[in-house]
Amino acid sequence: MAKIPDRLNIDKKTDRELYDKIKEEVFLEMPRKGQFLFAMAFGFMYGTKRELGTKDGFFLAKDMGPRDEALINALAVAETGSVAVLSNRARVYQIAEEYAHAGIRLLHDEVTSEEHGSFYKRFERDIFERLEGHM
Amino acid sequence: MKKLRTHQDGIGGGFTKRKLSSTQRDGGTKVRIEKLILHNYRQFKEEEIWFHNTLDNDLHIFVGENGTGKTNVLNAINWCLYGDEPHLSRDSQQLPILNLEAIEETTDGGQQEVGVELYAETGTNAYILFKRVASYRVHGGHAPTHQGTTFEVHATGEQGNTEILSGEEGKSYVDRFVPERIREFFFFDGERLDRYFREATAQNIRHAVFRISQLDLLENEVERKLDTVVRSLEKEAGALNPDIESIRERLYEEKRKHDEIAEQIEKTEAQAAVAKGRIGEYEERLSGLPDVEGLENERKRLKAEKIIKENQRGEKRRLKHLFLLESGTGVMLYPAIVETIRVIEEKENRGEIPPTVDRSLLEKALGEGTCQVCGRDLDDESSAQVKELLERISLSSEIARELVRMEAPLRQLVEQATHFEDDAWRATRDVRAFQEDIDRIDRRLAEIDREVAGYDEEKITEWHRERKEFEGIYAQTQRDLGYLYPEEERAKERVDELQEKLDAEMRKEERAGEIRIRRDFCVAALDVVRKTKQDNMREIRQRIGAKTEDLFFDLTWKSGTFEAVNVESDYNISLIHSMGYECLGSVSAGERELLALSFTLALHDVSGFDSPILIDTPVARISGKHRESFGSVLARVSEEKQTILLFTPAEYSEEISRALDDKASTRYSLKLSSGEKVSNAEVL
Repeated sequence: MAKIPDRLNIDKKTDRELYDKIKEEVFLEMPRKGQFLFAMAFGFMYGTKRELGTKDGFFLAKDMGPRDEALINALAVAETGSVAVLSNRARVYQIAEEYAHAGIRLLHDEVTSEEHGSFYKRFERDIFERLEGHM
Repeated sequence: MKKLRTHQDGIGGGFTKRKLSSTQRDGGTKVRIEKLILHNYRQFKEEEIWFHNTLDNDLHIFVGENGTGKTNVLNAINWCLYGDEPHLSRDSQQLPILNLEAIEETTDGGQQEVGVELYAETGTNAYILFKRVASYRVHGGHAPTHQGTTFEVHATGEQGNTEILSGEEGKSYVDRFVPERIREFFFFDGERLDRYFREATAQNIRHAVFRISQLDLLENEVERKLDTVVRSLEKEAGALNPDIESIRERLYEEKRKHDEIAEQIEKTEAQAAVAKGRIGEYEERLSGLPDVEGLENERKRLKAEKIIKENQRGEKRRLKHLFLLESGTGVMLYPAIVETIRVIEEKENRGEIPPTVDRSLLEKALGEGTCQVCGRDLDDESSAQVKELLERISLSSEIARELVRMEAPLRQLVEQATHFEDDAWRATRDVRAFQEDIDRIDRRLAEIDREVAGYDEEKITEWHRERKEFEGIYAQTQRDLGYLYPEEERAKERVDELQEKLDAEMRKEERAGEIRIRRDFCVAALDVVRKTKQDNMREIRQRIGAKTEDLFFDLTWKSGTFEAVNVESDYNISLIHSMGYECLGSVSAGERELLALSFTLALHDVSGFDSPILIDTPVARISGKHRESFGSVLARVSEEKQTILLFTPAEYSEEISRALDDKASTRYSLKLSSGEKVSNAEVL
């Protein structure tokens, strides 16, 4: 039986620096868990995931609440098209890590882009548009 | 040693003896200055200034930059006649009276003289030469030391005989020209005209009337002497009777207290009048100007408020961003969430969840061939039933439990996404509310900047501060007077009461009979003197008021605007507008100065001294069209009396030049030499 991972990882080579760079402007005082989930959702929104190189623990799985677990589970179900994945926590976490790995780079590029308006203004607008499309 | 050249027998070469009509005005003889000789006097090393009267107007003009000795012409006249220099500038106060070049040319220990000679024409062929000479010893590197001063008067009568007078006799001739105690109404700075009816008006007028009436002589010579006699007689009576002495001592103590309070009241009233005048002056200066101090305070308050609002907006913005981060995560994953919920619902509909049988338990029973609940061995039929059950349960109970756990949070996330728009709008509204406050503050700050743009904020703030200071002083004087007036009344009552007691006691004392008769006589005489003084003051005040009004209406360039000029019984002056209201406080600087000039000329008239008038910077505080009008008034004054005017070039504007050039008998330009130690008066 595969060992259940106790943590969620980011890419050791690139991600930590990216998280740090945009922390002040985007993540404010949000804990790492929240930063990771946001980056993961961002990657999912743009349909991009990337395999991690060297893994680097970012936060402990035990710190996740029901909402956080539900989010990464939902992502794993949507990604695999099967609830069976839920019996494999390592796989569920892997999917979350890959989306977060791609998402943090996209987010960094978005924050540092020279597009008009602050990141949050653009993000708010995007979110509204996406919500309208879904509802 | 250089000696001042003298002109003992009348005036030297070049003097045109013009036959002036010796107009008698209220017993006064028309007097004019014909020549002024300055020797080593301040900027003037050797200067002879003539005041020939060649035109209908006896008008003489000096134009000089500051530092060329313009005001020192005024000082030279004062020094020659009275021995002092009341109008010295700060720069001149630092310098010796002896000309700097003369000091440089003198060897260490050598002597030099400063001299001013004033030639006054007093009638047909009658002249007076006033001559003051001061000797100084010069020491290299130090201020010259004064060795002594002489003052002589050479009076030449119509027959050509000259008398040389000095001491008190000499001074008596000065008193015939312009007495020292009223010189301030003849030789003065134009600022005086500007301030005269703005500061301590009643005090100024009472002072002027008192001086012009020459009642100080009556007061000093008669009133005080009589009072001394009364006191000595009362003391004499006190020596006869201890009761009289006791009352007398108490009376004098009360009188002293009363006099102290009265003096304090007078000082406080003067302070109040000055403060009120200065407040008016600052109000006039500040009228039409922005309230910079108030605006500055508002700006400070707004900036502080803006910082608070920015912090509040920052906090609201932070909360909104946190909301976007939290809710945004759910919204971005919305498709995954919705899909997972759909799967959960499907499993629920199929009865796969919640899990009813534990799949691992069934698998274990099959593997071991034993029921995991009762421990009985499974037979073939039972094993087939368990296998069938396992096929029906496609989900592991672990997954099923996970799905059950997920459902509620996922539905909450969907709910959140549904309300996202409303929640985002509320968060934005909170930020906007503070942003609007900040925008309002910014707009007001910009308005304030526009309001004060182009103004000397520092100066205006200083004026506001000074006005506030004077308002504080004025308020304090009013509080003091509120206490002092009843105090004085009580002190007066105590004095009257003791005076009555003293009178009664003196009447009882037979031995004091003779003393009492003498004392009563002196008291009665004192009453007469005081009443005479008051009557004279009243009469002269009325005459000055009437004359001021005549002159003002004669000279004003605004005929029909004003109706009357009154010098009230409390010595306040009022200018009545043709519409019937008092308007002195609201007239222009030019009109106010015209009233002060009319008052000054009325004083000349009433004083009986038809002497020259000399005004330094006469129109400096008047601007625009009023300047030319006032220039024309001065030209008209010079038709009646010798008028000497000292201007700066800036003051001697085109308007003034237009009004005065053709009327002036002499015009001088004062120029400082390249070494800046000697000035010359060049004829224009």
